[in-house]
Amino acid sequence: MIELKNISKSYRTDTIETLALQHMTMSVPSGEFLSIMGPSGCGKSTLLNIMGLIDEPTEGTMTLAGKEIAGYNGAQMARFRNEQLGFIFQSFHLINDLSVVDNVELPLLYRKVGGKERRRLALEALARVGLSNRAKHFPNQLSGGQKQRVAIARAIVGRPNIILADEPTGNLDSQMGDEIMEILLKLNSEIGTTIVMVTHDERMAKKTHRLVRLSDGERVS
Amino acid sequence: MFKNYLLLSLKVLKRKPFYTFISLFGISFTLMILMLVTSMGNAMLGSNKPMTDMHRMVFMPTVERFTPFYDTLTVVDSIVMTSGEMRYDTTYETNERGRMVTNGPGSFHFLDNNLRDLEDVESYSFINSNNHADTYLDGRKVSMSTYYVDADYFRVFDFNFLYGLPFGQAAIDEASKVIVMTDKAAKNYFGEASAAVIDREVEIGREKFRVVGIVARPLVENEATGGDVLLPYTTIDNKELASTTLGGGFLAVFKAVSPEKRTSVIDQLAFYADNFSMPPDQDFEKLGLDASTYLELFADRMVPGDSQNTDPSVWTVFGPIAVLLVLFLVLPLINLINLNISRVFERKSEIAVRKAFGADSKNILYQFVLENLVITFIGGLIGLILAFLIIQYVNANDLLGITRLAFSFKVFLYFLIVILLFGLVSGILPAYRMSRTNIGEALR
Ligand SMILES: Nc1ncnc2c1ncn2[C@@H]1O[C@H](COP(=O)(O)OP(=O)(O)OP(=O)(O)O)[C@@H](O)[C@H]1O
Ligand SMILES: [Mg+2]
Repeated sequence: MIELKNISKSYRTDTIETLALQHMTMSVPSGEFLSIMGPSGCGKSTLLNIMGLIDEPTEGTMTLAGKEIAGYNGAQMARFRNEQLGFIFQSFHLINDLSVVDNVELPLLYRKVGGKERRRLALEALARVGLSNRAKHFPNQLSGGQKQRVAIARAIVGRPNIILADEPTGNLDSQMGDEIMEILLKLNSEIGTTIVMVTHDERMAKKTHRLVRLSDGERVS
Repeated sequence: MFKNYLLLSLKVLKRKPFYTFISLFGISFTLMILMLVTSMGNAMLGSNKPMTDMHRMVFMPTVERFTPFYDTLTVVDSIVMTSGEMRYDTTYETNERGRMVTNGPGSFHFLDNNLRDLEDVESYSFINSNNHADTYLDGRKVSMSTYYVDADYFRVFDFNFLYGLPFGQAAIDEASKVIVMTDKAAKNYFGEASAAVIDREVEIGREKFRVVGIVARPLVENEATGGDVLLPYTTIDNKELASTTLGGGFLAVFKAVSPEKRTSVIDQLAFYADNFSMPPDQDFEKLGLDASTYLELFADRMVPGDSQNTDPSVWTVFGPIAVLLVLFLVLPLINLINLNISRVFERKSEIAVRKAFGADSKNILYQFVLENLVITFIGGLIGLILAFLIIQYVNANDLLGITRLAFSFKVFLYFLIVILLFGLVSGILPAYRMSRTNIGEALR
């Protein structure tokens, strides 16, 4: 599902050049739940962003869902993100001005889906994360765990093949974290969504199929 | 898609009442002032009744008589020696040093005898606008400016007749005691301006005149259109018509066959003056017929004082006004762009999230431009209502003297264009900048 070959990423500011990723090669088969661990600043988020077409690698090639990404223009990448990818962030990144259900509908806005159908799919996704009764609420009326569940609903509403989660439980207490983890595991096992998750929590990592460790932009296991 | 953006805009605006209020306040205030300025400009310089054909009109408010006096300068060119004798070869230069001038409206006699045969003129009118009439009605003094006009006056100026009709050539020929009033004068005099006023009588100079028509008062009153009441010129004091002097109480307005032919009319008048042989009994040697377009006349009036010789060009008057107007448009625009940049900037993470979930730059651009258009339109509408109320108030209380603000469909149309421009220009720049947002950096 995800193939990285010799991916490198360096950030260049005025004077210094930071090597965030060095010659990363890895492959994530379809349906796998992979976790990534490593010390702060080792390049986990950078790796996830490259997989999510949010950042471009300085070197290397990548195949996502069978498609060679090199040469995609901005609109094509946007389309690919819309159809194939779903993101979950550590700090949720819900849009505070929109209600829960409007937030969940967001990915469908950039597809040809009618308003009624959009609403139906969004409520379905909310039901899957157990938040049907909060559809009309606004994000600032929710707890952290609830917010992350809304974020998951938003990530899955477009039925993407791949979900990329950057420390999805990082801002939650362990009980809420476990709940989120349950939802992701169920998603993976029931629908077969490929999931790549960055985490600092060994306990979470243990529940996934495979663990990759990074250090200083390099893969160590 | 459009509907989605629209709904989204409304949702966002509703969720941010304080910001929405501030923006709306700024936008509606700016647009209200713009609107007032536009309607003032339209009132003063727009082709509104009775000046619909203003671009074809030539005004000759005065007839000038003058005697130039000269300096004679002797310039010694050369001294030549011929056979022991010195000879000067001399040239003379004469410079006009100044003139003795008298300037004022012409007499009916002069206009009548000299200016009836100009070419390229479709219609023209001689107007006596110098008189006032005080009448007493139920012990109340009513003062009215009386204009004595000919039948063609109503061909030159297309007054908006609310009731009744203008008087025609027959009334002029018979010196009929008929009168046309403005609606304001009718209200003042009769207490109403309605069809019931037609055929009632107005007392002017101890004579009774029968009302034949009520016209809407012009938005801007000028030398030729500012009369409260219009009467056949043949009913004027006989001395005015009989006097054979050059000066008198009449001004002339010519309507050229086309705007381009105006200069022809002005040139003909100047040419006529240059070749005019002054009657021997006159105190002055020469005649000057200095006619001008309405815009020039307007510019003249805007620069008070020295009206002789130095005619301010139209641009010295309208240039600064134009610059002011542009500033008026540009400053609030910059302000609005600024406001929008900070507003959109605040939503950087929202934009990044949208892009992460599949919005491309174009989607973002459309969304924010539309959002901006929606708020400018709402603000514009509020501004429109405010401007409308102010115009009503200003006009009802005559706060601007001879000028009343015009609120026409044309102004409304300009206004819509201005709003659209405002919305687009102030929205596109920030939206374009934000549509380039780097997702990774914004979501860190
Ligand atoms: N936009 C950027 N410009 C410059 N350097 C950057 C940029 N983004 C990331 N880096 C650098 O790249 C390296 C990897 O950063 P990254 O965010 O991937 O780390 P991380 O493993 O996700 O860390 P954490 O666990 O703290 O989230 C860091 O040294 C960071 O300073
Ligand atoms: Mg990180």
